[in-house]
Amino acid sequence: MEVCTHMEKSDILHKLAQSVIDMDVSRARELAVEAVRCNIDPYEALMDGLTRGMDRVNELFEAEEYFVPEILLCADAMYAGIEVLRPHLPKESGRKKEKVVIGVVKGDTHDIGKNLVKIMLDNAGYEIHDLGRNVSYAQFVDTAGELNAGLVCLSTLMTTTMDGMQVVINDLRKTGIPAKVMVGGGPLSPGFAKNIGADGYAKNAAEAVKVAREILQGVPLHPLMFKTPELVTIKRDRGGMR
Amino acid sequence: MNCEDEMTPRARMEAVLQGKEVDRFLVSPLILNFASRSLNMNVRDFCTSGKNMGDANIACFRKYRHDIVYIFSTTSTVAEAMGTKMYFPEDDAPQVDTPFIRFRDDVKKLRPVNPEKDGRLPVYLEAVRRCVDAIGNEVFIVPVIGAPFTTSAALRGTEIFIRELYTDPELVHTLMRVATQSVKNLVDAYVRAGGVPVTVEPIATGSMIGEKHFREFVLPYLKEVYSHIRSHGIPGVLHICGKTKRVIQCMAESGADILSVDNIDLLDAKELVGDKVCLMGNVSPSDGMLKGNPDTIAGMVRDCVAKAADNPKGFVLATGCEVPIKTPHENMVAFLEAGRRFARLPIQWN
Repeated sequence: MEVCTHMEKSDILHKLAQSVIDMDVSRARELAVEAVRCNIDPYEALMDGLTRGMDRVNELFEAEEYFVPEILLCADAMYAGIEVLRPHLPKESGRKKEKVVIGVVKGDTHDIGKNLVKIMLDNAGYEIHDLGRNVSYAQFVDTAGELNAGLVCLSTLMTTTMDGMQVVINDLRKTGIPAKVMVGGGPLSPGFAKNIGADGYAKNAAEAVKVAREILQGVPLHPLMFKTPELVTIKRDRGGMR
Repeated sequence: MNCEDEMTPRARMEAVLQGKEVDRFLVSPLILNFASRSLNMNVRDFCTSGKNMGDANIACFRKYRHDIVYIFSTTSTVAEAMGTKMYFPEDDAPQVDTPFIRFRDDVKKLRPVNPEKDGRLPVYLEAVRRCVDAIGNEVFIVPVIGAPFTTSAALRGTEIFIRELYTDPELVHTLMRVATQSVKNLVDAYVRAGGVPVTVEPIATGSMIGEKHFREFVLPYLKEVYSHIRSHGIPGVLHICGKTKRVIQCMAESGADILSVDNIDLLDAKELVGDKVCLMGNVSPSDGMLKGNPDTIAGMVRDCVAKAADNPKGFVLATGCEVPIKTPHENMVAFLEAGRRFARLPIQWN
């Protein structure tokens, strides 16, 4: 087994980060293979290589130098690298990841914004459970309850579906599920988020990471404090498309 | 509410276009699917029948006397006519269900539209003709066309399409060329039907792509569209919602005479392009029309007028994007009343 020098290691980590910034899927894959071959700690290759690159992408997005296509392709490169590292990563990292449930609310199929937030929160170290688009209100509540999620993220691009967010928030509160709620999407404003009782509003994917960290700061991990069957009634009431 | 108006909306718009004196500037909320409410119709019934779409818009105009009557249901209508499958919720705008270009080879099946036959374009044409017959002497009938980039995105699926700006630019340009021809065919058909077509390009918003991609993939085709529209002797109107500060310079280079904007400060827009184009905007559809009340809406109207009424190339008071279908009637009345009050020239603030 090869063991690389300190210089070579920092060079590989740097190039891994750069391959993500450059949207270069095959280069990210090659460098991840190289990292494994050189016996670099895969967790380090993930955190100080790929993730650091994606952090930089986030900054470029916030500075409006990168836009949606760039983020999607940078994420492709990041995930290509992770795919290579995954078999070598420890199954359970020491720290328990906070769980996040995310989806586009019922009636809306526009999911690019949600996908960007998902990428950024994943990169920031949260465990993401993506319910997809056109998601029934009950499914948000059920999943948050079943997973004991710390955060529920609701997205929509349409004025016709934004009121559904309030239904989800009310149902979460009614059932005593302690998950916090972050909302976002084209027609929303901080005022709307406040009115419907959301814990946070993010105006874009870059801001979503900051808001999630703020909301979840000091939130203790809750033991399972409710029983899932109670939620079934909500599901029946709400019905709706999935 | 209409007693102060001295001109018909049509006469006012003609005067504006010819640079003649007007009683006030144009007040044009983007009433699209909201028109269905004037005949208590759900949106699916509204947008799948030319009779319904036309009659609802006629009723809506008689109720509100807004300055421009738009004919529209979704930005994906051209793509639908080219083969993209839509999903029609009972009471909401149609959304893309299955894009037409699933595989790269599908592009060989792509043809420019025949507006008299394809998809729901005949529905739109019938709606335009009905409106022109009934109220065309009083107001311009303005069908709204999804421009080439937006149409291409709906043909391919937006997320795949915008990745291909990097990974398959050749395919993007191929789609854009056919989409542009479709848009031009549709412009011709609408003009023949007596309409004054305008175009919307929301997928090219600054919330989605940057200036580099706008210049490479959007601008050349928009130029072609507006040069075609202007050859009919009508002005080019370009609406892009979301953030536009980073692309508004490009928008102004497209050949459009009027830019309809959403999420940008009108002072910024005026400073950046006000010497080149007429500006149109931008009361918030959600915070204003849907969630606001008559007082807050009047405040927003006044704010827009204060910022842009002195725009060198003119100003049209509008909403930033589509008026939400659940907008309360009194909010619409408040928008129009405030608009008519503040829009009188010279500006009277009381």
